[in-house]
Amino acid sequence: MIKLESRHWIFLGLFVLVVGAMVLNISFDIAVTDETQRLYNLIDSLPEGSTLIISFDHEASSLPEIRPLALVVLRHTFSKNIKLIGTALLAEGTGVGYQLMNMVAKEYGKQYGIDYVYLGFKPQYIAAILSMGESIPETFPEDYLGKPVAQLPLLHNVKNYDDIAGVISIADGSLTTHWIEYGASRYGVRVSAAVTAAMMTTYDPYLASGQLYAMIGGLRGAAEYERLINRGGAGKRGMLAQTVSHIYVICLIVVGNIVYFRAKRKKRSNS
Amino acid sequence: MVAFLMNRLGPQIICFVFGLVLFAVYFSAHPVARQINTTVLVDYWQIIFAFTLIIGVISFVNLSVHDIKRGHNRFYRFISLFGLVIMPVFAVIWGIKGDSPFMWMFDNVQVPMQSTVFSLLAFFVASASYRGFRARSLPATVLLVAALLTLISRSSLEGALPSFIAGTADWVRGNPSMAARRAILIGIGLGSLTTSLRVLLGIERTWLGGEK
Repeated sequence: MIKLESRHWIFLGLFVLVVGAMVLNISFDIAVTDETQRLYNLIDSLPEGSTLIISFDHEASSLPEIRPLALVVLRHTFSKNIKLIGTALLAEGTGVGYQLMNMVAKEYGKQYGIDYVYLGFKPQYIAAILSMGESIPETFPEDYLGKPVAQLPLLHNVKNYDDIAGVISIADGSLTTHWIEYGASRYGVRVSAAVTAAMMTTYDPYLASGQLYAMIGGLRGAAEYERLINRGGAGKRGMLAQTVSHIYVICLIVVGNIVYFRAKRKKRSNS
Repeated sequence: MVAFLMNRLGPQIICFVFGLVLFAVYFSAHPVARQINTTVLVDYWQIIFAFTLIIGVISFVNLSVHDIKRGHNRFYRFISLFGLVIMPVFAVIWGIKGDSPFMWMFDNVQVPMQSTVFSLLAFFVASASYRGFRARSLPATVLLVAALLTLISRSSLEGALPSFIAGTADWVRGNPSMAARRAILIGIGLGSLTTSLRVLLGIERTWLGGEK
């Protein structure tokens, strides 16, 4: 018989709470923050036919948090008839990006090669960002499917960042920093980001200085964006699990401190 | 003399010349400079990347074979080597698009495994918050309060609580947190600049083989 320790009960408590919350499907009203509103306004203000680069700069491990973020951005851009160029600067994001773009494109009846293209993965992210500033067709002579860029009508009038309305980096790490440092600083392309919650404070200085134009972060950001585009999704559902687990952690911190101070007082009174 | 030229002076000269040329090319708007820049970025960096990949694979195989011979984590090492071999085989035979076996493995093996490992963090955080997050001192108490505010502000409870909580959490994120982050970024920037100059000017020579 396995003897359960306190940590095992804590694990079990978290599991039960998260599963329970997901089963109950309670919905909270989430206020939209300024930073989320800013990305929404940016995409909303772009004229039809503008071209954006969506870069899937993430690994597979963060997919539960990244997927809702990517979906809201893709849905909003496709609904505004904005043309999209998909890239990936991390190998693991390549397949994910391709699947998500195709899935959302199908929802909005978009045609590959005309409304969107997927250029795929390019190793050496700094070199890739810099060389796209010189020439996108030279950096990606073929798309992800191996089709020459000359056969993709969307890219006929796209040479470099000068022909792009902006870059949205969907990232779970520091890759957005490279888009800012090399894409924005060297070539002046407008960089925005959809990042995991843990990475948000990393990008705060760039956001405050204006080097990063807009940012949405974590499940909360996805849930806010879902509200803006009037479409439910994994962001809102995930926020329930996140809220419950946050409350649980807060309770654990409080209980842990009560136990600590009681033990301290007892020790003092004994001595 | 020849050894000194080959091992020390030669690499240092190459490093200095390439460093200087690429620095100039990066900022120059001249068409020739732009073309050199594109060639270096598109071709040379990719060739270097290919070699680093080969080194990585060889190193991983060596390590795994070594561990298998010694009987350390033999099962896991076999699985790793199997993955290392099977994924390129799938990619070469059936490609990496859409419904290929490569993508099936990625979607149904790699993504769930990585997401699972990542999500385990939530359980460790919960356990650590109970056992380690104590108000033992003033700095620890400040950290604890900041953590509580952040946890509340990143949940759906924000609307149900007094507005000063969200306001304070935003203040923490926008002021002390950002100030610390900026200090780190400036430090990294100055450190990178100094190290680059030291390497280019030959003051820093450890990359040549350990000699200072």
